[in-house]
Amino acid sequence: MYQTFIGLEIHIHLITNSKVFCSCRNEFGAEPNTNICPVCMGYPGVLPSLNAEAVRKSYQVCMALDCTLNETAIFERKNYFYPDMPKNYQISQFAFPFGINGFFDIDLGGGTVKRIRIHDVHLEEDAGKMIHSGGVSFLDYNRAGTPLLEIVTEPDLASGEEAEIFLQQFRQMVRYLGVTDGNMEEGSMRCDANVSINEQGKGLGIKTEVKNLNSSRFVNKALEYEIKRHTKVISAGGTIIQETRLWDEDRNVTRSMRTKESSNDYRYFPEPDLPPYLPDKDFLQEVRESLVELPLARKGRFMSEYALSESSAAFVTGEKEIADFFEKMVQHGVAPQTAARWLSGDVQKQLNLSGESLKASALTPERLSRLLVMVEDGKISRDAAKKVLAAIFTENEEPEKLVKDLGLEQVSNKEDLEKVVSEIVNAHEKVAEAIRNGADKQIGFLMGQVMKATAGKANPKIAQQLIKNNIFKQG
Amino acid sequence: MDVMDLKITAELAKLALTEEETAKLSEEVARMLEYFSSMSEVDVTHLEPTNYVLQKENRTRIDSEKNESDIPDKILGNAPRREDRFIVIPNVL
Ligand SMILES: [Zn+2]
Repeated sequence: MYQTFIGLEIHIHLITNSKVFCSCRNEFGAEPNTNICPVCMGYPGVLPSLNAEAVRKSYQVCMALDCTLNETAIFERKNYFYPDMPKNYQISQFAFPFGINGFFDIDLGGGTVKRIRIHDVHLEEDAGKMIHSGGVSFLDYNRAGTPLLEIVTEPDLASGEEAEIFLQQFRQMVRYLGVTDGNMEEGSMRCDANVSINEQGKGLGIKTEVKNLNSSRFVNKALEYEIKRHTKVISAGGTIIQETRLWDEDRNVTRSMRTKESSNDYRYFPEPDLPPYLPDKDFLQEVRESLVELPLARKGRFMSEYALSESSAAFVTGEKEIADFFEKMVQHGVAPQTAARWLSGDVQKQLNLSGESLKASALTPERLSRLLVMVEDGKISRDAAKKVLAAIFTENEEPEKLVKDLGLEQVSNKEDLEKVVSEIVNAHEKVAEAIRNGADKQIGFLMGQVMKATAGKANPKIAQQLIKNNIFKQG
Repeated sequence: MDVMDLKITAELAKLALTEEETAKLSEEVARMLEYFSSMSEVDVTHLEPTNYVLQKENRTRIDSEKNESDIPDKILGNAPRREDRFIVIPNVL
């Protein structure tokens, strides 16, 4: 039996106004080469200056991953010649990154948590974008110099599935922190994976690295492909060649990327234009206090504090905005189970329909809570509440007004209902007789008639009680 | 200097060396390295590495964007070949 070792290198784009070493705007999707300046274009004589917000967000991630923080962090030049970086080097951190030796606990379900060690967290600048077409390459340097945080794990993951889970939960965590939007399709979160297999107990094998993985699903598939390939080669007595491979998502295979190994020497040296960074106590204290409750802890708390099921808690805590929304609803007096059920069901349906995020939509915790309290109080039916919910999204109005406008208020007034019920019972005397003789199911027929007569607005609980009273009083 | 090391170094520096140049440089670089190696005779056992001599405090910049609108166009104007706002170079893939 072989043992599998998988490590991930994750890059996340930090959300900042400006680039990491110059004041160019940091934005996705701008016209090509509009956010460029002499610094990020590598003109002679310019000096980089470090973006305080990029530093702050980096430390938030380091702390969320329980890293040891280097007393002195040092920026270094990683030298390589490629047109995506006009300076011919990338400013990164190497020997003394911001954070080292951390960990991230992944939740494998059913109470099983696996601790994945983090090798280091370092801040660097992203490269520009290249589009290859025919005999030429098109260059856009808007992305060159935007802040990129790299998180390197130890090879503690044991399968493609674990790697996928890691990525999903890691993405959740960094989105909770608000340091990145984590959009893998747009490249604001990228992942390279390395994998090796070896006989049980013999330690790491020879690894290959897989690149070009722009979804956590592909990471899983590419790794499973590599594990099978390694197993086949090694079982046949062969040796794995240490190399970088590209995931081909059309053919579901990895392909060798021919590289000249001799040029794989980045000759790191300390960046002479940037002083070392020494995080001081006050700064670290302030960053630590700004950290929010992280998804895994919040899920556990929701299960114990609100008695949510594991799947329900997992859904509600999947995004911070949903978890915050949920807790506000509970504060407004909605039962936790009810709040969770509506958020994962009808609210999600409406969001899918409108294509909006919860935050951008017209639905607020206050509005949804008041709507559900109306259901609880028997003022409207659940079906009516669904209609009102849909109307909140389209009309951006208060639920009370929509209930009125749509004429959905339930008739709970006993006198009004009694009148309707007695008319119906009188009109169906044979059915009433049958019920008196034990045909309970026929009550449903009379209920239907009452609903018809009230255009579905009768409070079903009260109506049913009134029907029974009426029939048995007469008998 | 070992010829192989020199060739790798040249490749990393994107220098194309002829055989004569390689032979000549091999000797000259060897002499330079020997000169620099005198530094490793200094005993630094109890010294902290000095990465930067002028530092008094952390130097960071407030995260605000500066929009000097004509600078990107001026930079683009320096590109030998363009298509729309892209800089075009021979394919290097
Ligand atoms: Zn710039």
